[in-house]
Amino acid sequence: MDKAEILSQLQEIFRDTLDDQEVTLAYETTANDVEGWDSLTHIHLVVSIEKHFKLRFTAKEIQSWKNIGELVEGIISKK
Amino acid sequence: MNNYLEEILLKLESKRPAHAKKLRLNTNYLNELYVSRANDFYSQYEKHLLRENTDLDFSIDCYLRMLDDMAIERMNFLRQGKYSSVSLMEVEKCIYNNPDMMCYHMHGLALAQFLWFDQYERYSFFADSLAGYAKSAESYLEIGCGHGLYCYTAIKLLPENVKFEVVDISDYSIGICKGIINDPKVNFITKNVLEYASNSTFGFITIGEVLEHLEDPLVLLKKLKDLLSDDGISYISAPVNAPMIDHIYLFNEVQEIRDLINQAGLEIIEEKVVISEHVSQQYADKFKVPVMFAAFIKQKQQ
Ligand SMILES: C[S@@+](CC[C@H](N)C(=O)[O-])C[C@H]1O[C@@H](n2cnc3c(N)ncnc32)[C@H](O)[C@@H]1O
Repeated sequence: MDKAEILSQLQEIFRDTLDDQEVTLAYETTANDVEGWDSLTHIHLVVSIEKHFKLRFTAKEIQSWKNIGELVEGIISKK
Repeated sequence: MNNYLEEILLKLESKRPAHAKKLRLNTNYLNELYVSRANDFYSQYEKHLLRENTDLDFSIDCYLRMLDDMAIERMNFLRQGKYSSVSLMEVEKCIYNNPDMMCYHMHGLALAQFLWFDQYERYSFFADSLAGYAKSAESYLEIGCGHGLYCYTAIKLLPENVKFEVVDISDYSIGICKGIINDPKVNFITKNVLEYASNSTFGFITIGEVLEHLEDPLVLLKKLKDLLSDDGISYISAPVNAPMIDHIYLFNEVQEIRDLINQAGLEIIEEKVVISEHVSQQYADKFKVPVMFAAFIKQKQQ
Protein backbone atom coordinates (compact mmCIF):
# COMPACT_ATOMS: atom_id res chain seq x y z
CA MET A 1 0.00 0.00 0.00
CA ASP A 2 1.49 3.38 -0.91
CA LYS A 3 1.42 6.61 1.06
CA ALA A 4 -1.40 8.16 -0.95
CA GLU A 5 -3.59 5.11 -0.46
CA ILE A 6 -2.97 5.15 3.32
CA LEU A 7 -3.73 8.86 3.44
CA SER A 8 -7.04 8.36 1.70
CA GLN A 9 -8.02 5.48 3.98
CA LEU A 10 -7.03 7.57 7.02
CA GLN A 11 -9.29 10.34 5.83
CA GLU A 12 -12.22 7.92 5.77
CA ILE A 13 -11.38 6.73 9.29
CA PHE A 14 -11.14 10.31 10.55
CA ARG A 15 -14.48 11.23 8.97
CA ASP A 16 -16.16 8.23 10.52
CA THR A 17 -14.54 8.54 13.95
CA LEU A 18 -14.94 12.29 14.31
CA ASP A 19 -18.41 12.05 12.82
CA ASP A 20 -17.57 14.82 10.35
CA GLN A 21 -17.66 14.29 6.58
CA GLU A 22 -15.83 17.59 5.97
CA VAL A 23 -12.49 16.43 7.37
CA THR A 24 -9.77 16.66 4.74
CA LEU A 25 -6.29 15.37 5.52
CA ALA A 26 -2.91 16.23 4.05
CA TYR A 27 0.54 15.08 5.19
CA GLU A 28 1.15 18.32 7.03
CA THR A 29 -2.25 18.33 8.84
CA THR A 30 -1.92 18.51 12.66
CA ALA A 31 -4.43 18.02 15.48
CA ASN A 32 -4.85 21.79 15.67
CA ASP A 33 -6.13 21.85 12.08
CA VAL A 34 -8.90 19.35 12.67
CA GLU A 35 -11.89 20.33 14.72
CA GLY A 36 -12.83 17.63 17.19
CA TRP A 37 -9.39 15.99 17.24
CA ASP A 38 -8.65 16.16 20.98
CA SER A 39 -7.14 13.84 23.55
CA LEU A 40 -10.31 11.76 23.80
CA THR A 41 -10.95 11.38 20.08
CA HIS A 42 -7.21 10.75 19.59
CA ILE A 43 -7.70 7.49 21.48
CA HIS A 44 -10.73 6.63 19.34
CA LEU A 45 -8.74 7.42 16.20
CA VAL A 46 -5.82 5.25 17.28
CA VAL A 47 -8.08 2.30 18.05
CA SER A 48 -9.96 2.69 14.73
CA ILE A 49 -6.67 2.93 12.81
CA GLU A 50 -5.28 -0.14 14.57
CA LYS A 51 -8.40 -2.13 13.73
CA HIS A 52 -8.46 -1.02 10.12
CA PHE A 53 -4.77 -1.62 9.35
CA LYS A 54 -4.55 -4.63 11.69
CA LEU A 55 -1.61 -3.37 13.70
CA ARG A 56 -0.82 -2.26 17.25
CA PHE A 57 1.00 0.93 18.21
CA THR A 58 3.14 1.28 21.33
CA ALA A 59 2.30 3.91 23.95
CA LYS A 60 5.33 5.91 22.79
CA GLU A 61 4.28 5.86 19.14
CA ILE A 62 0.81 7.11 20.01
CA GLN A 63 2.29 10.26 21.53
CA SER A 64 4.93 10.76 18.83
CA TRP A 65 3.23 11.84 15.59
CA LYS A 66 3.42 15.55 14.97
CA ASN A 67 1.32 15.43 11.83
CA ILE A 68 -0.53 13.06 9.52
CA GLY A 69 2.62 12.48 7.42
CA GLU A 70 4.35 10.99 10.47
CA LEU A 71 1.31 8.85 11.20
CA VAL A 72 1.38 7.54 7.59
CA GLU A 73 5.10 6.74 8.00
CA GLY A 74 4.32 5.04 11.30
CA ILE A 75 1.71 2.82 9.62
CA ILE A 76 4.11 1.92 6.74
CA SER A 77 6.87 0.97 9.18
CA LYS A 78 4.47 -1.43 10.95
CA LYS A 79 3.23 -3.16 7.82
CA MET B 1 -14.66 34.08 48.32
CA ASN B 2 -11.74 33.38 45.99
CA ASN B 3 -12.59 32.13 42.55
CA TYR B 4 -10.84 28.81 43.00
CA LEU B 5 -12.48 27.30 39.93
CA GLU B 6 -10.98 30.00 37.72
CA GLU B 7 -7.62 29.72 39.45
CA ILE B 8 -7.53 25.96 38.83
CA LEU B 9 -8.55 26.36 35.19
CA LEU B 10 -5.85 29.00 34.64
CA LYS B 11 -3.22 26.76 36.18
CA LEU B 12 -4.40 23.88 34.01
CA GLU B 13 -4.30 26.13 30.97
CA SER B 14 -0.61 26.74 31.48
CA LYS B 15 0.11 23.02 31.83
CA ARG B 16 -2.33 21.39 29.41
CA PRO B 17 -4.01 24.06 27.30
CA ALA B 18 -6.10 21.81 25.06
CA HIS B 19 -7.54 19.97 28.04
CA ALA B 20 -8.32 23.18 29.90
CA LYS B 21 -10.05 24.57 26.83
CA LYS B 22 -12.21 21.49 26.60
CA LEU B 23 -13.14 21.67 30.30
CA ARG B 24 -14.25 25.27 29.87
CA LEU B 25 -16.31 24.45 26.80
CA ASN B 26 -17.90 21.43 28.45
CA THR B 27 -18.97 23.33 31.56
CA ASN B 28 -19.97 26.65 30.03
CA TYR B 29 -23.67 25.70 30.09
CA LEU B 30 -23.62 25.46 33.90
CA ASN B 31 -24.94 28.29 36.06
CA GLU B 32 -23.78 30.42 38.99
CA LEU B 33 -24.81 27.82 41.52
CA TYR B 34 -22.23 25.52 39.93
CA VAL B 35 -19.50 28.13 40.35
CA SER B 36 -20.41 28.86 43.95
CA ARG B 37 -20.61 25.16 44.89
CA ALA B 38 -17.26 24.54 43.22
CA ASN B 39 -15.64 27.42 45.06
CA ASP B 40 -17.13 26.36 48.37
CA PHE B 41 -15.68 22.84 48.09
CA TYR B 42 -12.35 23.92 46.64
CA SER B 43 -11.90 26.44 49.44
CA GLN B 44 -12.55 23.72 52.03
CA TYR B 45 -10.18 21.46 50.10
CA GLU B 46 -7.46 24.12 49.94
CA LYS B 47 -7.58 24.52 53.72
CA HIS B 48 -6.79 20.82 53.96
CA LEU B 49 -3.93 21.19 51.45
CA LEU B 50 -2.46 24.05 53.49
CA ARG B 51 -2.71 22.05 56.73
CA GLU B 52 -0.78 19.33 54.92
CA ASN B 53 1.84 21.92 53.84
CA THR B 54 0.96 21.68 50.20
CA ASP B 55 -1.13 23.61 47.67
CA LEU B 56 -3.31 23.54 44.58
CA ASP B 57 -0.29 23.21 42.27
CA PHE B 58 0.42 19.86 43.84
CA SER B 59 -3.18 18.86 43.39
CA ILE B 60 -3.14 19.85 39.72
CA ASP B 61 -0.10 17.67 39.10
CA CYS B 62 -2.01 14.80 40.73
CA TYR B 63 -4.97 15.45 38.47
CA LEU B 64 -2.78 15.39 35.35
CA ARG B 65 -1.20 12.13 36.47
CA MET B 66 -4.65 10.67 36.93
CA LEU B 67 -5.60 11.79 33.40
CA ASP B 68 -2.54 10.03 32.00
CA ASP B 69 -3.54 6.83 33.80
CA MET B 70 -7.04 7.17 32.43
CA ALA B 71 -5.83 7.54 28.85
CA ILE B 72 -3.85 4.30 29.17
CA GLU B 73 -6.77 2.48 30.77
CA ARG B 74 -9.11 3.75 28.10
CA MET B 75 -6.85 2.63 25.27
CA ASN B 76 -6.59 -0.86 26.78
CA PHE B 77 -10.31 -0.96 27.37
CA LEU B 78 -11.17 -0.07 23.78
CA ARG B 79 -8.71 -2.63 22.47
CA GLN B 80 -9.70 -5.46 24.79
CA GLY B 81 -13.29 -4.70 25.79
CA LYS B 82 -12.62 -5.21 29.50
CA TYR B 83 -11.14 -3.42 32.52
CA SER B 84 -7.54 -4.19 33.35
CA SER B 85 -8.07 -5.04 37.04
CA VAL B 86 -9.89 -8.25 37.89
CA SER B 87 -9.75 -8.84 41.64
CA LEU B 88 -10.41 -6.71 44.71
CA MET B 89 -7.45 -8.31 46.46
CA GLU B 90 -5.11 -7.16 43.71
CA VAL B 91 -6.51 -3.61 43.64
CA GLU B 92 -6.43 -3.44 47.45
CA LYS B 93 -2.77 -4.41 47.49
CA CYS B 94 -1.58 -2.30 44.55
CA ILE B 95 -3.78 0.78 44.98
CA TYR B 96 -5.92 1.15 48.14
CA ASN B 97 -2.98 0.18 50.37
CA ASN B 98 -0.45 2.08 48.29
CA PRO B 99 -0.31 5.66 49.63
CA ASP B 100 1.64 7.01 46.62
CA MET B 101 -0.96 5.85 44.12
CA MET B 102 -3.92 6.71 46.34
CA CYS B 103 -2.50 10.17 46.94
CA TYR B 104 -2.44 11.36 43.36
CA HIS B 105 -5.56 9.41 42.45
CA MET B 106 -7.66 10.90 45.28
CA HIS B 107 -6.37 14.46 44.87
CA GLY B 108 -7.01 14.12 41.14
CA LEU B 109 -10.56 12.94 41.79
CA ALA B 110 -11.17 15.73 44.30
CA LEU B 111 -10.41 18.33 41.62
CA ALA B 112 -12.36 16.45 38.97
CA GLN B 113 -15.62 16.69 40.93
CA PHE B 114 -16.18 20.21 39.60
CA LEU B 115 -14.12 20.10 36.42
CA TRP B 116 -16.11 17.36 34.71
CA PHE B 117 -19.69 18.26 33.96
CA ASP B 118 -20.98 14.71 34.39
CA GLN B 119 -19.47 14.63 37.87
CA TYR B 120 -21.12 17.92 38.70
CA GLU B 121 -24.46 16.67 37.33
CA ARG B 122 -24.27 13.68 39.63
CA TYR B 123 -23.32 15.95 42.52
CA SER B 124 -26.08 18.48 41.95
CA PHE B 125 -28.61 15.65 41.65
CA PHE B 126 -27.47 14.60 45.14
CA ALA B 127 -27.19 18.08 46.69
CA ASP B 128 -30.50 19.34 45.28
CA SER B 129 -32.56 16.50 46.73
CA LEU B 130 -30.69 15.14 49.74
CA ALA B 131 -32.46 17.25 52.36
CA GLY B 132 -35.88 16.22 51.07
CA TYR B 133 -35.10 12.51 50.86
CA ALA B 134 -33.29 12.43 54.22
CA LYS B 135 -36.05 14.39 56.01
CA SER B 136 -36.71 11.75 58.63
CA ALA B 137 -33.23 10.20 58.70
CA GLU B 138 -31.48 10.16 62.06
CA SER B 139 -28.36 8.50 60.76
CA TYR B 140 -26.24 8.83 57.61
CA LEU B 141 -23.84 6.18 56.34
CA GLU B 142 -21.40 6.66 53.50
CA ILE B 143 -19.65 3.71 51.87
CA GLY B 144 -16.49 4.51 49.90
CA CYS B 145 -16.10 8.18 50.78
CA GLY B 146 -12.94 8.84 48.73
CA HIS B 147 -12.24 12.60 48.73
CA GLY B 148 -15.29 13.20 50.94
CA LEU B 149 -17.26 15.73 48.87
CA TYR B 150 -20.53 13.87 49.42
CA CYS B 151 -20.12 13.48 53.15
CA TYR B 152 -19.01 17.12 53.44
CA THR B 153 -22.19 18.19 51.66
CA ALA B 154 -24.43 15.92 53.74
CA ILE B 155 -23.04 17.40 56.97
CA LYS B 156 -23.91 20.85 55.68
CA LEU B 157 -27.40 19.94 54.51
CA LEU B 158 -28.67 17.61 57.23
CA PRO B 159 -29.76 18.61 60.74
CA GLU B 160 -27.23 18.84 63.56
CA ASN B 161 -28.55 15.75 65.37
CA VAL B 162 -27.98 13.31 62.47
CA LYS B 163 -25.29 10.69 63.25
CA PHE B 164 -22.58 10.20 60.62
CA GLU B 165 -20.63 7.05 59.85
CA VAL B 166 -18.16 6.56 56.99
CA VAL B 167 -16.62 3.29 55.81
CA ASP B 168 -13.81 3.01 53.28
CA ILE B 169 -11.39 0.21 52.50
CA SER B 170 -8.46 2.61 52.11
CA ASP B 171 -6.70 4.33 54.98
CA TYR B 172 -5.67 7.02 52.53
CA SER B 173 -9.28 7.79 51.56
CA ILE B 174 -10.31 7.91 55.19
CA GLY B 175 -7.42 10.29 55.88
CA ILE B 176 -8.17 12.71 53.05
CA CYS B 177 -11.92 12.65 53.76
CA LYS B 178 -11.30 13.29 57.45
CA GLY B 179 -8.86 16.07 56.58
CA ILE B 180 -11.19 17.84 54.16
CA ILE B 181 -14.34 17.50 56.27
CA ASN B 182 -12.48 18.42 59.46
CA ASP B 183 -15.49 17.68 61.66
CA PRO B 184 -15.33 15.46 64.78
CA LYS B 185 -18.97 14.35 64.50
CA VAL B 186 -18.17 11.68 61.87
CA ASN B 187 -17.30 8.13 62.91
CA PHE B 188 -14.68 6.87 60.44
CA ILE B 189 -14.05 3.17 59.86
CA THR B 190 -11.34 1.73 57.63
CA LYS B 191 -12.82 -1.52 56.39
CA ASN B 192 -13.79 -3.42 53.29
CA VAL B 193 -17.54 -2.79 53.20
CA LEU B 194 -18.13 -6.49 52.60
CA GLU B 195 -16.77 -7.12 56.11
CA TYR B 196 -18.58 -4.20 57.70
CA ALA B 197 -21.52 -4.76 60.04
CA SER B 198 -23.69 -2.45 62.10
CA ASN B 199 -26.06 -3.02 65.02
CA SER B 200 -28.56 -0.56 63.65
CA THR B 201 -29.91 0.43 60.25
CA PHE B 202 -29.47 3.84 58.61
CA GLY B 203 -32.01 6.37 57.37
CA PHE B 204 -29.79 7.53 54.53
CA ILE B 205 -26.91 5.74 52.79
CA THR B 206 -24.62 7.16 50.11
CA ILE B 207 -22.64 4.87 47.82
CA GLY B 208 -21.01 7.04 45.15
CA GLU B 209 -18.88 5.27 42.54
CA VAL B 210 -18.16 2.11 44.51
CA LEU B 211 -20.15 -0.67 42.78
CA GLU B 212 -17.66 -0.83 39.92
CA HIS B 213 -14.83 -1.37 42.43
CA LEU B 214 -16.22 -4.77 43.43
CA GLU B 215 -16.06 -8.19 41.85
CA ASP B 216 -19.78 -8.71 42.44
CA PRO B 217 -21.72 -5.46 42.96
CA LEU B 218 -24.92 -7.37 43.75
CA VAL B 219 -23.39 -8.42 47.07
CA LEU B 220 -22.98 -4.76 48.04
CA LEU B 221 -26.51 -3.91 46.92
CA LYS B 222 -27.90 -6.72 49.08
CA LYS B 223 -25.82 -5.42 51.97
CA LEU B 224 -27.23 -1.96 51.31
CA LYS B 225 -30.73 -3.40 51.55
CA ASP B 226 -29.88 -4.88 54.98
CA LEU B 227 -28.26 -1.67 56.24
CA LEU B 228 -31.09 0.58 55.08
CA SER B 229 -34.02 1.21 57.44
CA ASP B 230 -37.51 0.27 56.21
CA ASP B 231 -38.26 3.82 55.14
CA GLY B 232 -34.63 4.70 54.41
CA ILE B 233 -33.36 6.18 51.16
CA SER B 234 -30.06 5.65 49.42
CA TYR B 235 -28.15 7.64 46.82
CA ILE B 236 -26.10 5.45 44.57
CA SER B 237 -24.01 6.18 41.51
CA ALA B 238 -21.92 4.06 39.16
CA PRO B 239 -20.38 4.58 35.74
CA VAL B 240 -20.82 2.57 32.54
CA ASN B 241 -17.81 1.92 30.26
CA ALA B 242 -15.47 3.86 32.52
CA PRO B 243 -12.02 2.27 32.76
CA MET B 244 -9.90 3.44 35.73
CA ILE B 245 -6.94 1.85 37.49
CA ASP B 246 -9.18 0.62 40.34
CA HIS B 247 -12.33 -0.37 38.44
CA ILE B 248 -13.10 -4.07 38.32
CA TYR B 249 -16.73 -4.62 37.39
CA LEU B 250 -17.71 -3.47 33.92
CA PHE B 251 -21.25 -2.20 33.39
CA ASN B 252 -21.78 -2.25 29.61
CA GLU B 253 -25.02 -0.34 29.80
CA VAL B 254 -27.18 1.53 32.29
CA GLN B 255 -29.89 -1.13 32.28
CA GLU B 256 -27.48 -3.59 33.93
CA ILE B 257 -27.25 -1.31 36.98
CA ARG B 258 -31.04 -0.90 37.16
CA ASP B 259 -31.47 -4.68 36.94
CA LEU B 260 -29.03 -5.28 39.81
CA ILE B 261 -30.77 -2.73 42.02
CA ASN B 262 -34.03 -4.48 41.34
CA GLN B 263 -32.53 -7.94 41.92
CA ALA B 264 -31.27 -6.80 45.33
CA GLY B 265 -34.84 -6.02 46.41
CA LEU B 266 -34.49 -2.26 45.98
CA GLU B 267 -36.44 0.18 43.86
CA ILE B 268 -35.43 3.31 41.98
CA ILE B 269 -37.34 6.45 42.98
CA GLU B 270 -35.61 8.87 40.65
CA GLU B 271 -32.52 8.61 38.43
CA LYS B 272 -30.10 10.68 36.38
CA VAL B 273 -28.10 9.49 33.38
CA VAL B 274 -25.43 11.69 31.76
CA ILE B 275 -23.01 10.90 28.93
CA SER B 276 -19.59 12.13 30.05
CA GLU B 277 -18.89 14.00 26.80
CA HIS B 278 -21.18 16.22 24.77
CA VAL B 279 -21.75 13.55 22.10
CA SER B 280 -24.84 11.73 20.80
CA GLN B 281 -26.01 8.46 22.36
CA GLN B 282 -25.12 6.75 19.08
CA TYR B 283 -21.54 8.04 19.24
CA ALA B 284 -21.28 7.14 22.92
CA ASP B 285 -22.41 3.58 22.17
CA LYS B 286 -20.04 3.21 19.25
CA PHE B 287 -16.94 4.39 21.13
CA LYS B 288 -18.02 3.26 24.59
CA VAL B 289 -17.85 6.77 26.00
CA PRO B 290 -18.36 6.63 29.79
CA VAL B 291 -21.91 7.22 31.01
CA MET B 292 -22.74 8.33 34.55
CA PHE B 293 -25.72 6.78 36.33
CA ALA B 294 -27.05 8.05 39.66
CA ALA B 295 -30.28 7.26 41.51
CA PHE B 296 -32.17 7.66 44.75
CA ILE B 297 -33.45 4.25 45.76
CA LYS B 298 -35.54 2.67 48.52
CA GLN B 299 -36.69 -0.72 49.78
CA LYS B 300 -38.92 -2.42 47.23
CA GLN B 301 -42.55 -2.23 48.34
CA GLN B 302 -43.92 -5.75 48.80
C1 LIG C 1 -14.08 6.53 43.16
S1 LIG C 1 -14.00 6.68 44.90
C2 LIG C 1 -15.60 7.37 45.22
C3 LIG C 1 -15.54 8.66 45.97
C4 LIG C 1 -16.89 9.32 46.25
N1 LIG C 1 -17.78 8.44 46.98
C5 LIG C 1 -17.55 9.77 44.99
O1 LIG C 1 -18.72 9.42 44.76
O2 LIG C 1 -16.94 10.51 44.20
C6 LIG C 1 -14.18 5.01 45.44
C7 LIG C 1 -13.88 4.83 46.91
O3 LIG C 1 -14.38 3.55 47.31
C8 LIG C 1 -13.44 2.93 48.15
N2 LIG C 1 -13.66 1.47 48.05
C9 LIG C 1 -13.40 0.67 47.01
N3 LIG C 1 -13.72 -0.60 47.30
C10 LIG C 1 -14.21 -0.61 48.56
C11 LIG C 1 -14.70 -1.63 49.43
N4 LIG C 1 -14.75 -2.92 49.05
N5 LIG C 1 -15.12 -1.27 50.66
C12 LIG C 1 -15.06 0.02 51.07
N6 LIG C 1 -14.61 1.02 50.28
C13 LIG C 1 -14.18 0.72 49.05
C14 LIG C 1 -12.09 3.42 47.63
O4 LIG C 1 -11.08 3.33 48.60
C15 LIG C 1 -12.41 4.85 47.26
O5 LIG C 1 -12.18 5.72 48.33
